[in-house]
Amino acid sequence: MLLQSDRMKKNSFYLIFGCIALTLLVLFWYSVELHQPLLIEVAFVIGIVLVYLAKRKVTDIINDERDVKITEQATARTMQVFWVVFCAFSIGAVMEILRVPVFPRPAPGTRPADILPPRMMGYVQLGLLCLMIFLYVGFRIYYAKKYGDFETDEE
Amino acid sequence: MKNKIKVFRAVHNLTQEHLAQAIGVNRQTILAIEKEKYIPSLDLAFKISRFFGVNIEEVFIFDEKTPTILQKQ
Repeated sequence: MLLQSDRMKKNSFYLIFGCIALTLLVLFWYSVELHQPLLIEVAFVIGIVLVYLAKRKVTDIINDERDVKITEQATARTMQVFWVVFCAFSIGAVMEILRVPVFPRPAPGTRPADILPPRMMGYVQLGLLCLMIFLYVGFRIYYAKKYGDFETDEE
Repeated sequence: MKNKIKVFRAVHNLTQEHLAQAIGVNRQTILAIEKEKYIPSLDLAFKISRFFGVNIEEVFIFDEKTPTILQKQ
């Protein structure tokens, strides 16, 4: 109902955001129980689309050019660091695809050991996701400080 | 880039909040410009000077010693 209105206050937006986050959390555990990763994947995309739609209707959050600059710089720096780490891990996955021969060669009929087991890939991706979030938050705080977000007022 | 926004605000008896609302930015942005932590875009600089009814050069003073973005990088 709130999403149908043309305008929205930021408190309403935060309420909707909280509800969506909570729903996603429930769906995450539900999809773990059902062993259905597709459920949370689809729900996540829908949830993010709903958040973006709701944010467009908020009238009392001013996103001015300084905010845009802080976001741009934090995103650019995050990507600069992240792609290096991501590529370093991805090289391991590529080796898995290419099946680089190991020495001494395994006995005929036996499967060589995985370089990066599929379960481990999940942990690696979780680590990368956390790294990206920490990098972005860190850079955002740095640039916010640089462009005067924590300046005290004499008024 | 130095500026005289604080002086113009005092002359017009305006708070940072009022000026920010009038030109459609956050109060923190006005504070950051006043403290020379953030250099506004040409568009915003024009908006501020037009709001005070003066030329852009009267509010913003170009300082050649200030390093450019490329020099900073």
